[in-house]
Parts: sequence; structure tokens; C-alpha cells
Amino acid sequence: MLINVKNLVKRYGDLIALDHFNLEVQEGEILGLLGPNGSGKTTAINCILSLLKYDKGTIELYDQPMTPDAYDIKRNIGVVMQNVAIFDELTVYENIDYFCGLYISDKHTRKKLVAEAIAFVGLGDFKKFSPKKLSGGLLRRLNIACGIAHKPKLIILDEPTVAVDPQSRNNILEGIMELNRQGATIIYTTHYMEEVEQICSRIAIMDKGKIIAMGTNEELKQMIKSGEHINLELLNPEHLELSEITALPHIISAELTDHQLVVKSGRGKNTLIAILDYLKGRNITIGKIYSEPPTLNDVFLEITGKALRD
Amino acid sequence: MFLFNYRYRLKCIFKDRQLMFWTFLFPILLATLFNLAFANITSSDNFIKVNVAVVQNEALDQNPAFTQAITGADDLFVVQNTTRAEADALLQDNQIDGIITFDPDLNMVVNQSGLNQTIIRGFLDDYVQSNATIVTVVTENPGSLENGILNGISSRSEYLTAVSASQSAPDPIVNYFYALIAMTCLYGGFLGVKEVVAIQADLSAVGARINLAPTNKLTVFISSMLAATSVQMLELMILLTFISGVLGISFGDQFGYIALTCLLGSLTGVTFGACLAAVIKKGEGIKIGILIASTMTMSFLAGMMSTDIKYLVMTKVPILGYLNPANLITDSFYALYYYNTHTQFFTDILLLCGFTLLFSTITYFVLRRQKYASL
Repeated sequence: MLINVKNLVKRYGDLIALDHFNLEVQEGEILGLLGPNGSGKTTAINCILSLLKYDKGTIELYDQPMTPDAYDIKRNIGVVMQNVAIFDELTVYENIDYFCGLYISDKHTRKKLVAEAIAFVGLGDFKKFSPKKLSGGLLRRLNIACGIAHKPKLIILDEPTVAVDPQSRNNILEGIMELNRQGATIIYTTHYMEEVEQICSRIAIMDKGKIIAMGTNEELKQMIKSGEHINLELLNPEHLELSEITALPHIISAELTDHQLVVKSGRGKNTLIAILDYLKGRNITIGKIYSEPPTLNDVFLEITGKALRD
Repeated sequence: MFLFNYRYRLKCIFKDRQLMFWTFLFPILLATLFNLAFANITSSDNFIKVNVAVVQNEALDQNPAFTQAITGADDLFVVQNTTRAEADALLQDNQIDGIITFDPDLNMVVNQSGLNQTIIRGFLDDYVQSNATIVTVVTENPGSLENGILNGISSRSEYLTAVSASQSAPDPIVNYFYALIAMTCLYGGFLGVKEVVAIQADLSAVGARINLAPTNKLTVFISSMLAATSVQMLELMILLTFISGVLGISFGDQFGYIALTCLLGSLTGVTFGACLAAVIKKGEGIKIGILIASTMTMSFLAGMMSTDIKYLVMTKVPILGYLNPANLITDSFYALYYYNTHTQFFTDILLLCGFTLLFSTITYFVLRRQKYASL
């Protein structure tokens, strides 16, 4: 077991930030820690990294208790902070060299690692640039390079794509998958469900300081009642009675917005034929039809009663 | 790790333009302004002679001793021998401060009162008194003339001898520059704040990153503080060179002790800033604000804005002088410049060591914490 957290409790005064939080991370996986803002993701990471004091619980990394001076464990960890953590006074190269130097003392090894990190995040043309001259996306890439230059076995990324444009976001996500292919175990915290669906082999959904569901993407979606979402464009929806649709077998809910009807059906049930029969009987003309599988937002919604981004 | 971090901290400090302005350029600008403001004060203190007109008449001719006395009076007077009419005209035009005339007694005519007029009055009173004494001696005891009594009457003997405490000439202006250097030393606090913010996980993101690394935090911190002190020392040496070499302000010739004062002043300043940053649980802006306010207050009390304040503190609340690092640094320079002994200097130096130790100890106890309650 690479990380084993048991019954972690962290309080800020009366506020319980982590409420008997449990987590196990296996070597080689990409674990997504998904939850809305304030759900306790960053607090959990900071406790695991021994930055924050906690009130109760145990944290073990590589089967050893994690402490601030557990240097052997720390040597294997790379962290990409939520806030860009670099020195404005140093150039791109110097920043990566400095933070790599905190782990690697040999100058020649460090030079090679810094060059690889720069190539990995695609900052080759910006080596001598001051961070003040970099765009938000390039800064995020520099932030990642500073966290991973020493080639850690465990990489923790805390919302690395916040305020990043779609193109840079894709580059970052592809880079994370590449790091995993090279052998690194990844913990990735975010409140973007699309990102964890795209890159994570296992997902832990957090709310109010605890993990409320955990599994692969498919396993999580199997946990809920709702299945596919059927979207129908209706040309004459005035003849529609929503109560009659929801009364159909295996239909969980139906919503009509303007000409768009969204029907959620039960998991594993085919309800499309019944819906089409009903619409035909009512002489309602259909424009477009498409179906979507359930999302992690549906999982979160069904478990907590609220959407991920509420 | 120590040297690696030291090198990078030097880079960070030198490239921080705002920091370099306040700790390096600002004191040089202030020293230049001081020099411009004080340039004419010393020359304005030079004594200007008193212009008098002595009316040329028969009575004056009968008193050659008076002419001899006024022309030989330690270069006090610029004497013009004129007619009464010319003398009146000169007085009317304010070209002279007064008229001296024998008619037949010694008289003085002025058209205003002031220091120069008082000097003329004093001289005349002294002459009349001496003259009366001589007349009395000659009349009542002519035999004593043979004993040389006249020499005793006509000359003034000083029974107290002024001995200089040093070879340096007293100069009240230098204290302003010493207080400015003290302020610069304490501005090293900016560097101390920067280094603490850079290493504390609850104060900056880079601090969090450094705390996550497998390095001893105290080693990194000591190396950072050493870099800050090195920069501060360099800045002070350049400032001293500028003040003494370009502005011509003297610091005496005890370079080893001057360097020691700068080193301890820098250490006190840097550790003061570090202590402040570690103890005050507010944002960096508030820490800097408090640092500036406290530094300026200490410099004010050390006489940077007026030497009278320093005098007032030393006479009314001397303990405040010993509790003020800026005053101790100023005093150290002053003691080196003026006194031939080092008692005062080493007292100041020891107190500065005490402050450095106190600030360092407080900072250590705050920074040794390895985990944070919140980030």
C-alpha cells in the first residue's frame, strides 16, 4: 500500500474539515479526488503531506508513519500545488533548478532532470523568461515542472488546471497520463468531473470532509439508480403531459425546457421505444433524439442531493 | 544545500527591485538630500566681524591706548576712522553696526539692538573698567607698577584648559548621517521579512513547497538569513563609501570597528524583520507596514530628524536610548568618531548582540514548528 489513511479528523474551530476520512492508494494508479469546493480535498492532501496538524487518525506512506522529517518518504513525493508556487525573481530554468535542487544535490544529475522537466512541460522556448512574462497556462506548466522535476514516484496534483485555457488543460492532462505511464502513482484532486473521467483509474468522491463513494468510473455509475439520459427535441410540445411520461415504466424523471425533453431512465432499462410510442400517440413531432450515459455529477447528485458545482 | 540555497537567495534578493530600492537606493538618496540640506549650516556658523566707525577727533588722539586696544581686539572689529558726519551716514546706511566717539568720555551710538551692538558695548565696558583700574593703581600705589601689575590687568588668564576627547572636531551634522546608517541597518528588516515569508508554509506557496522537500528547514533558513545579511552588509559598505568618499562625512579611521558596527547593525535589522514576520500573524503588507513604522520611530528617537530628540531621550528617558537599536548603532559610530576610549562603543555593541540574540531566539521558536494549524 502506497498511502493508507485511517479515520482522519481535522477541525478548524467548530468546522469539521475532515470527518473520519479514509483513503487507500495503490502503486501505479491515478486516483482522482473529486468534490466541490470546500469538500476537504486540499485539507486531506495537506494532512497527508504532513503540512497540517490533524486532530485524530493515522497516515502511513510506504508503510511508514508520515512525519515532517520523514525525508526518505518525502524524497519520493512530488507536489503540484493549487497556487502557483514559484519565485518571481528567478527565471523559468532557475525556478525548476532550485526546487529540483531541494531533492537532488548532484549538479550533473540535476541539470539532466531539469532539462527533461522543461521538455516535458514544453517550456523549452521560455527557459530564460521571467515568470512575470508567462501566460496563465505557461505558469501552470512551470508549476508542474517545479513539482515533478526530481522524478518522484508519487505525484500529488492539487487542482492544477484551475484558470487554465482548454488547450493548456489538455496538455496538462496528457502530461499526467504520460507520467503515470512512466511509472508514477498519481493523486489528482479537482472539482472538474470531466477531468477525472478522462484520466483517473479510480475515483473518490468527497463531500463534507469524507469520501462518500469510491471506485472506477463505471463502478461509480453502477452505484446509482439512473441510467441513460434521453434527449428529445419536440416540435409541438404543447400536446405533452409530463406526468404521463414519468408514469411510463422505468422512467425516473422527465424535464421539459422550451422544446427540449430530457428523460432519465432506470439503469439498464431500455425506455426509448415506450417514449416514442407515447409521443406518436399524442401526435408530437420529434426533431432530434440522442442519448447520454450518466455522469459523475449524477452520481454526486443522487448521493448528496446536490450538484457537484452547486 | 546550504551554499545552493544561499546562492539562489542572493539572486532572489538582488532581483527584487522594490526591495533593492528601499534598502539600497533610498538611503543613498536620503544621504544626498541630507548633504544638500546641511551644506550651508557649518559655513553659516563662521563669525562675521563687527563693523564700527571711530570718530577721529582730538580726544581720540589723546587716547592712543584705545586705538591700540580696538585694532588688536582678537579681530573682533573692522574699524573705520571717520568724521562724525561720515560715521552718521554709514550708520544710516547700515554699513556699520555702531559709532564709537570720545567727547571727551567714551560713547557709543547705535540705531538698533542686536548681537553686534552687544559685542561693542561689552568691549567698551571692558576697556573703561580696565582703564579705571590702571588709573586707580597709578594714583594710589605707583610703586606696584614696578611689579608688573599692569600686565595682569591688561591680559586675561584662562584657568581652565579645554582638552578634546578625540582628534576629531565636534560636528553636530554627522549625527544625522549616523542615524541614517542606523535606519539603513534596520531596513535590513525588509530582507528578514522576505526570508521568513519565503520559508513559512502558512505565509507563501513557495514556503509550502520548501516544507515538503526532504531538507532541514532550519538549514535552509539560516542559509537564507546569511544571504540577507550579506546583501545588507554590502549595501551598507557602499553607503558608507558614498557618505565618506563622495559626501565627505567622517567616520574616523577605525575601520575594523566600523565594519563590526555595520555587521551587528545588519544582523540586528535582519533578525528584527524576521522576528516581526514570524510573530505577527497578518499579511505581508501589514508586516511591512509595522516594520516601516517601528524603524522610522526608532530612527526618529535616534536623532535622524532632529538631534534635539536624541538629546531629550538621553537626558529624560535614558533607558529608551538603550532599548532602541537605531540609537545604539548611531551611538556606536559617534563613540568611534569622538571618544578615544571604547567603553561606550563596546557597551552599544554588546547591547546590539543582545537584541540580535533575542530576535533570533524568538524567530527560532516560531519557525521550529514543523506542522501548521492552518494554511
